[in-house]
Amino acid sequence: MKKIVLSLFAFALLISAKAQTAEEIISKHIEAIGGADNWRKVNSVKMEGVLQVQGAEVAVTITVLHNKGMRQDISVMGMTGYEFVTPTEGWSFMPFQGQQEPEAMTAEKLAESQDQLDAQGNLVDYAQKGHSAEYLGKEDVEGTECFKIRLNKKGGTHETMFIDPKTFYVLQSKTVQKANGQEMEVTSTFANYEKLPEGIVIAKSITLPFGEMVLGKVTINGPVEESVFKK
Amino acid sequence: MRYLLLTCSLYMSMLLSAQTPVNSSIFGMMEARWLGPGTMSGRITAIEGVAKDGKTIYVGTAGGGIWKTTNAGATFKPVFDRHNQSIGALAIDPLNPKVIYAGTGESNMRNSVSIGDGLYKSTDGGENWIRLGLEKTEHIAKIAVHPAKTNILFVAAPGPLWSSSPDRGLYKSTDGGKTFEKILYISPDAGCADVAIDPRNPDILYASTWEFRRTPYSFSSGGNGSGMWKSTDGGKTWRELRQGLPAKPFGRIAFAIAPSAPENIVAIVEAAETGLYISADGGENWKKQSATLNVVSRPFYFSTIVIDPHNPKRVYRPAYSFSYSDDGGYSFAEASYEGGWVHSDHHALWINPANTNQLYLGTDGGVYFSLDRGANWNFVQGLPVGQFYHAAVDNKKPYNIYGGLQDNGSWVGPSAAPGGVGNNAWKPIYGGDGFWVLPDPSDPVMAYAEYQGGNMARVNLQTNKAVTIKPQQGPGEDKLRWNWNTPIATGTFNKKNLYTGSQYLYKSVDQGRNWVRISPDLSTNDKKKQQQENSGGLSADNTSAENHCTIFTIAESPFDEKLIWAGTDDGNLQYTTDGGRTWTNVSPNYAQAGIPAQTWVSSIELSRFDRKTVYVTFDNHMYGDHKTWAAYSRDMGKTWQVFSSPEFTGFAHKIRQDLLNKDLLFLGTEMGLFATLDGGENWFRMKNRIPEYVSARDIQVHPVTHDLIVATHGRGILIVDDISPVRKLKKKELEKEVVLFTPEPVTLSMGQFGDGGFPSTGGWVAPNPPSVPPVKYYLKDRLLKGDVKVEIYDAAGKLMQSMPGGKRKGVNLVSWNLRMKPPKVATGGAKVDFSGFVAPMVMPGEYTVKLKVADSVYATKMKLVHDPADKNFTPDDRLKQYKAAMDLYNLHERLATLVDTLNDRQKKLGEAIRQTNDSVQKKKWQQLAAELEALRSECLSTRQKSIFAEEKKLREDITEVYTSITGQEAAPSNLQLQRITQLQAELKKKEEQGKMIRQKTDAALGAGKKGF
Repeated sequence: MKKIVLSLFAFALLISAKAQTAEEIISKHIEAIGGADNWRKVNSVKMEGVLQVQGAEVAVTITVLHNKGMRQDISVMGMTGYEFVTPTEGWSFMPFQGQQEPEAMTAEKLAESQDQLDAQGNLVDYAQKGHSAEYLGKEDVEGTECFKIRLNKKGGTHETMFIDPKTFYVLQSKTVQKANGQEMEVTSTFANYEKLPEGIVIAKSITLPFGEMVLGKVTINGPVEESVFKK
Repeated sequence: MRYLLLTCSLYMSMLLSAQTPVNSSIFGMMEARWLGPGTMSGRITAIEGVAKDGKTIYVGTAGGGIWKTTNAGATFKPVFDRHNQSIGALAIDPLNPKVIYAGTGESNMRNSVSIGDGLYKSTDGGENWIRLGLEKTEHIAKIAVHPAKTNILFVAAPGPLWSSSPDRGLYKSTDGGKTFEKILYISPDAGCADVAIDPRNPDILYASTWEFRRTPYSFSSGGNGSGMWKSTDGGKTWRELRQGLPAKPFGRIAFAIAPSAPENIVAIVEAAETGLYISADGGENWKKQSATLNVVSRPFYFSTIVIDPHNPKRVYRPAYSFSYSDDGGYSFAEASYEGGWVHSDHHALWINPANTNQLYLGTDGGVYFSLDRGANWNFVQGLPVGQFYHAAVDNKKPYNIYGGLQDNGSWVGPSAAPGGVGNNAWKPIYGGDGFWVLPDPSDPVMAYAEYQGGNMARVNLQTNKAVTIKPQQGPGEDKLRWNWNTPIATGTFNKKNLYTGSQYLYKSVDQGRNWVRISPDLSTNDKKKQQQENSGGLSADNTSAENHCTIFTIAESPFDEKLIWAGTDDGNLQYTTDGGRTWTNVSPNYAQAGIPAQTWVSSIELSRFDRKTVYVTFDNHMYGDHKTWAAYSRDMGKTWQVFSSPEFTGFAHKIRQDLLNKDLLFLGTEMGLFATLDGGENWFRMKNRIPEYVSARDIQVHPVTHDLIVATHGRGILIVDDISPVRKLKKKELEKEVVLFTPEPVTLSMGQFGDGGFPSTGGWVAPNPPSVPPVKYYLKDRLLKGDVKVEIYDAAGKLMQSMPGGKRKGVNLVSWNLRMKPPKVATGGAKVDFSGFVAPMVMPGEYTVKLKVADSVYATKMKLVHDPADKNFTPDDRLKQYKAAMDLYNLHERLATLVDTLNDRQKKLGEAIRQTNDSVQKKKWQQLAAELEALRSECLSTRQKSIFAEEKKLREDITEVYTSITGQEAAPSNLQLQRITQLQAELKKKEEQGKMIRQKTDAALGAGKKGF
């Protein structure tokens, strides 16, 4: 009896005391979202989503061609704007406020946007991609004690991710973005995780500071012409 | 064996209790609004900037944590909200500015000073922090980082204020704070007040030690433990510096090394002969300099002296006022206040080493910056770190908050204002240190306010004219003893009653014009605790802060005006049931429950649900006991039960019972706000944008709006709007997966304010509460899979609006602007038309709210009503407005259909033109295409893309009238109605034209196709 109790106790302690490492947590997260093998097969992603503002809809399409380009098209009442980034250039055209020509991205923003060219997500093979990760302990995110991971990205920026210990999905992430010489913290909250036919799991709801983007159709490895990343 | 089993079961129960769902997350999206204000900020204790860029600056505060600016002070954000909010010292690694050290527990040892819990470090510019240790030091005055080997740091800890402690002294780390060694220790009563490293020879260190102590009724600065010290071996050995300094004992010593010529040191030495002393040989010899009042004033409180980074003769003395010297401290000049008044009482100064004209100053009222070496100052308006003692509310609409602040007087500000609650919405009504500020519940023009020591007044809120109403000593009475924070209370049962207390309780029924003493001395009247005139130590300091044996809290029963309770600062808790004729002291009874006998009775909350139930908080920290003492009695104080919770931190200031749910209680302590849903069985720390260790001094629940208002000592006023959903979350509801709350009838409204037309030009602006009550539902858990939608249907079952719903654990809020979906607006123009975002407001009536959570649907009714009090907008006006808006809505949709048709035919013609080789046919089609374009360009603007070039066509004409009518609470005007008729005719004409061209086009295309 004594032995059983002892071992039970030791076991219980073991569970709670087991040191978590960033690598372990990220690997469980990758497993939870479909496994690295499935993600490595992803070469292009096209996500069609909607931002809703009291019944008025803003359509957003995000297209990523792995390591080649990322493009967002925003459509408001039949008028369309876009922003794209490649390894060497970035342009945006937002005609809604009277802009008439595409504008070049600042070098700083271009550099910071490079990790968005990763169609497989920054966490898959993060070390090989030149990022490093740190486990910063547990932190309460709106009632869930999450694993807190800081991903230090190759380009010099970092992202803090909060991973749900039950599902190992990323529940929230925080990045510090620079805009107009000013640092700005952007929090994204993820929900409505769904498994795609390709075996990968993605969040179809992303809440950003200005509202919730609800993703509809998601196409993996559909044809994406490199020409869409030109102005 | 048994022990093991017990441990095991304890462990298991801990695991189980860890799963208890009731915590702050049930509040979900109900997060605190930070009302600020920034106009009177709070005490600033430390300022450190990044030398490299001169615009990244960290500000440490007395009770508001750490704030960071990356734009030289234009905006700040807090970076320490999960930790202790009292900051004593900050330091930035000189080689890696991402590494920040923060010592908690400020060292401006006034009576109201908070208590820290150790040293923290961030390696990412303040985003994440870890606690390194030194938890028991309670106060940290300075952190010095080695200029080259930055893993070496020194931490000066004066140590506990209210008790002896072996944890004071000077600590050294050689591994970036992982481990510490105490390298200078005098005694359990004398800690280390300051430390500096010689930048040229970092083995040379200077430190000052300080002996000091407070009791609830006295302060002493000075003793044999105070001294000035030097080490030349990196802190291994120390030698006391005496030559030329005044005779000991010393009090507090503040000193500074000239960074550009470190053999030059200036020191303000508190002694029998307090003065500024200078040394030109590394502290070996000192001489006294001529010094102004500002240099020698209150050494225990003003412990800052700074030398310019490049000019050893330029010495700054931020203290009671701001003075500076150009001759090494021989003579001082005072700053000019040309640019505006600068708050007195200064504690921190940062000079940008790359531009020594640029200075940042920390005062008792916030941060100022100077661009002319301290001669003139500008106030930084965006730091909401005010230190409230108490707050009260009125019933105006929007309601106002009344509160008094440490060193910042008494203020009134609205809970909402057009464009948000900015600094200029707040109004000062009384000076000095502010404490209780109460609106007169029966006279909307009058309020009561005070400054320290019971100096109270009746203030006319319209004119700001004040009448002194402080009671005076009567014949045969002892000298009156007024607490620093003297209680003023208005009646709960009889709102005409006004109370205050010295050691005696007073009542007035005529707004303080006349008073009746209604008690004997309610304190212990312990003469040993009444020697305040001798307080201060080496420098006399008797500002009423140590007054003792006084009444501290007063409460009239909500059931009976003759039932009054009063608590004193020396442990007495007494009540009368006959309006003051006889008094019963229940302090021996609470002592039986284990509550210390001499403790401050910090608040009394008389239950609104039961005459005999009383909740009380006790504050014993002035005897070195930081425990959270809160208790209740259900039998008029005969027996007491102490609340306890593993969550509790900090000594207790206030307990408040909700107005409608007797089991919902809030408890404010020096280190957090706590809540319970089950009458105190289980407590949890409030988060939801409430800084987790904030000093919560006062709590109100608004009787009309149901807002939770928290007066904090360091983060201003925090408001959680409308907590009514939480009231409804009883045990049964908490266990349900989803609870959709049935809303109270909602008044149709476009919000309570217009926008004024211009955004704020800076300063702190708090957001307003939602202008329309949101749809509310509770989710037991965060939804990670599946979607959430909120749909609104009218009585006929027609879908009016559909909105994405939050998936957060706890209460979710979805705002519906009470409008239907916007019309489909003609597309393809040169600009986006705003009408596509605007919809008519729905009509009064019963609606259905459907909540779809993954595969489940929940429904409730929602009643929308017209505001009968609005004389400018009658139900008939609303009907006219609705009809006109719908006419225009339909015009937009018809126009969109017409333009769609035109676009479609243009597209078809375009294809046909591209495909044909028949030039005659092509020309004909091109002509048709031109006709279509001519019509299209009359339907909507197609040419002017620039927002600076207006182009108005039919779509824009409709929009002008449509957006006006739908965007205001008024009936349409005669000319607006007439205009609708015109626009209808115009559209009809275009539709006819469109029909003709369409037929022509279809025929032509048909004919053309036949010809292929």
